[in-house]
Amino acid sequence: MTDPHATEPDPLLHPEVRQAGVVGYVSGYALTVMLLLAALVVTEQRSMAATPLLATLSGLAIFLLIAQCLLFFGLDLSRYHIWKTASLILTVPLFILSIGLTVWMFHSLNDQTMLPEMPGMDMQPTTLQ
Amino acid sequence: MDAYTGKDGKLPPLWHYGKTEHDPISTKTLGFWLYMISDALIFAGLFAAYGVLDQTMNYAGGPTPAQVVHPIAAFWQTLAVMSSVLSYSLATVAIKRGNARGVVLGIICAIVLAGVFLGLEVSDFISLFGIGATPDRSGFLAAFFMLVAVHGLHMMFGILWMLVLLPQILRFGLNTDVITRLLNLRLFWQFQASIWVCVYVFVYLRGTIQ
Repeated sequence: MTDPHATEPDPLLHPEVRQAGVVGYVSGYALTVMLLLAALVVTEQRSMAATPLLATLSGLAIFLLIAQCLLFFGLDLSRYHIWKTASLILTVPLFILSIGLTVWMFHSLNDQTMLPEMPGMDMQPTTLQ
Repeated sequence: MDAYTGKDGKLPPLWHYGKTEHDPISTKTLGFWLYMISDALIFAGLFAAYGVLDQTMNYAGGPTPAQVVHPIAAFWQTLAVMSSVLSYSLATVAIKRGNARGVVLGIICAIVLAGVFLGLEVSDFISLFGIGATPDRSGFLAAFFMLVAVHGLHMMFGILWMLVLLPQILRFGLNTDVITRLLNLRLFWQFQASIWVCVYVFVYLRGTIQ
């Protein structure tokens, strides 16, 4: 029986293999670690009010995810990566719908149907208090 | 005459052996990418559940996020998981250079660092259990443990996958099949870094400011 791989081109020359690069990976690593450290410092110092801090952290997470898509996954519009990029972009609305709408719906439901919070509701004795 | 019979009277082959129009690395990598996207939707469901249950009523008088999460300690986990992802990613740079020894070394470093990550996570869970913060204590804690543990399970299966691939590299070298598996694992491993960014920001950091 003949080797099915005998006539195949060299796999080391495949674009998926050639995509790997030290600069991109090290940049992605350094960016992620430094920005998460900065987020940790800002959060621990409480230098911002809660709402703007949450907005800043959310923006930072989105920025890091986009950076990782480019630097780690190597997504771009080239012939070998365009379908990965397209499938991810088409899935982003599903993430927004599944997380955003679910959280919004249940928090609205809670506000409209549950009794207002009574003093001491969150003060029941636990092993942590 | 059969509708599927060709002009020469022969049936078309059921399966093309050997090289066909699509190259195996691209098709399998795209297929695995689509699987990873569906996996990301599972995490979307878990984040949605966490977002719903992270509320005073669902603490049920039990621990609040600020009492459960320790972002400074979790930053060591961040370093471990990101370093593991970097190590595996650099192993795939060694594939490009045809350096099987470099691939093996990168994978071993990635396994060790992932083991450190899991060790820190298990130790965190044990300390939480010790103070009565168990998954059955409240809806919030159930969502917290489920979200963090599912990511940890992914890390565990990633380690298992690497352990399976190591002997394949040593036995078969860097052929098409092994390279395809290594590239798919790269997607899987880098995906863990992206999920951890979300876990660290939306669970650990957000938990301290509520």
